[in-house]
Amino acid sequence: MASIPKDNREYIAALEKSGDCVRIKQEVDWDNEAGAIVRRVCELGAPAPFMEKIKDYPGFSFFGAPLATYRRMAISLGMDPNSTLPEIGKEYLARTNGEVVQPITVDRRDAPCKENILLGSDVDLCKLPVPLVHDGDGGRYVGTWHAVVTKHPVRGDVNWGMYRQMMYDSRTMAGAVFPFSDLGKTLTEYYLPRGEACPFATAIGLSPLAAMAACAPSPIPEPELTGMLMKSPVRLVKCETNDLEVPADAEIIIEGVILPDYKVEEGPFGEYTGYRTSGRDFRVTFRVDAITYRNNATMTISNMGVPTDEGQLLRSFSLGLELEKLLRSQGIPVTGVYMHPGSTHHMMIVGVKPTYSGVAMQIAQLAFGSKLGPWFHMVMVVDDQTDIYNWNEVYHAFCTRCNPERGIHVFKNTTGTALYPHATPHDRKYSIGSQVLFDCLWPVDWDKTNDVPTLVSFKNVYPKDVQEKVVNNWADYGFPSGKATD
Amino acid sequence: MNQWEVFVNDLGELSEGKDLELTVRTLNPGMHMYTYKRVKCKVSSELEQFEDRLQVRLGRGQLSDKKFSIRVVEEIQRMPQKYL
Repeated sequence: MASIPKDNREYIAALEKSGDCVRIKQEVDWDNEAGAIVRRVCELGAPAPFMEKIKDYPGFSFFGAPLATYRRMAISLGMDPNSTLPEIGKEYLARTNGEVVQPITVDRRDAPCKENILLGSDVDLCKLPVPLVHDGDGGRYVGTWHAVVTKHPVRGDVNWGMYRQMMYDSRTMAGAVFPFSDLGKTLTEYYLPRGEACPFATAIGLSPLAAMAACAPSPIPEPELTGMLMKSPVRLVKCETNDLEVPADAEIIIEGVILPDYKVEEGPFGEYTGYRTSGRDFRVTFRVDAITYRNNATMTISNMGVPTDEGQLLRSFSLGLELEKLLRSQGIPVTGVYMHPGSTHHMMIVGVKPTYSGVAMQIAQLAFGSKLGPWFHMVMVVDDQTDIYNWNEVYHAFCTRCNPERGIHVFKNTTGTALYPHATPHDRKYSIGSQVLFDCLWPVDWDKTNDVPTLVSFKNVYPKDVQEKVVNNWADYGFPSGKATD
Repeated sequence: MNQWEVFVNDLGELSEGKDLELTVRTLNPGMHMYTYKRVKCKVSSELEQFEDRLQVRLGRGQLSDKKFSIRVVEEIQRMPQKYL
């Protein structure tokens, strides 16, 4: 196993070594051009772009589409870039089921993120190369691939969350914070009723695994989760203007407070669903008190839109694996859980050994009722003979086994996100969701010999010796070697 | 001449001949491009009526082909003093 990148710079170096990063030397405009490059990279599955020279911002650089492929995800974990998705998932589960790795606090002199410090009248977000990610966005987005660090004032829970942040003016940002999110609950439970400002720090240019932790809906606090994924403690340093601790090796830190009684307009923004769904509205507002950054700092850019960007890839990955952990913890006989990133993490595919009635409903109730539930609205349950990673097999199972009357179950008045393109404007405004289970299992009370249809496939209906003979003679029959179709 | 941009849900929000209060962003080139101000202003579909230009985007970022001129009468500070 290769070494695990401990910060964004080590990660870029590892990607360059494997050919998974392109270094762009010519000047790139922060106004649309950088965003357009990253968008095209996502749509083509191209290597991640590292843009060395940014118009108007000498000394800064951009790094786009940090984790938009499974190859890059494998490299971030120190694995072979050619690792398969099940192998990457197995490694994620092994690390996140292991011993908790506590973070360590370092002296500010050992924290690269303190190399430059802007305080007081020097604070100006426009001194950072904040990109206009998509033409028509409501503003330049500071936070697209980052962590907003907050702490619950009573429980002490530290939260790193990836809440989008738009630059409103030189010292103000605004963003969408859903009421069911950890930060949303902290604000509505504590700060807003008391009219108190909530300290925050935004960390940009994180190590890839810290970003992965910030994106993952895991119950493990993100600093510990990052350490577990990195197999070493994450280095934290205290902020300049509040008591929060931030990753010492991050490229840029923005400190300030979330205002309890004042909001500015935010959005629209190109979102992970591949649309601009949420309109412009008054949203959670962040007032900035300090900016610190590394020498030659790199701003990371995630460009959300149609598949596949890292938001879709990583959220699909971590939502699927966290659901698998949850279902196994409840004794459900699952054989695997997978979200295709192309579903923009809206469809959960669950493989199960159907040993008793109602197991699909049990899975859906657990999935939709969990903390993960608001992020997806479809659960499809297939049997253990269906390869959950093979969309052709899953689609075939769905189209042939899901009974329109008995197999489709709609859950009404659940929790949804404001970003669901299919939701009504009213439902978006109040995070009202609806969800659906597609039960693609043969009923357990059907007679397996006479009632359950037989799958007619090469692998299922021919004797092993005939299959082997045909496969071994394939080229001799005159077919091209390799896959017979496609 | 300054260039400004505003987001509206309906072009009817830009009543001509009236004193308006709008949140506009600057399109002037430079590092502060796309930052916002709240302003009192007047707008006109006659491009020569006022000295500055106003471009309009609709609810999901669609660029309107209708252009306006604008006069910014004064900036408004909405943010409570305690946060300034």
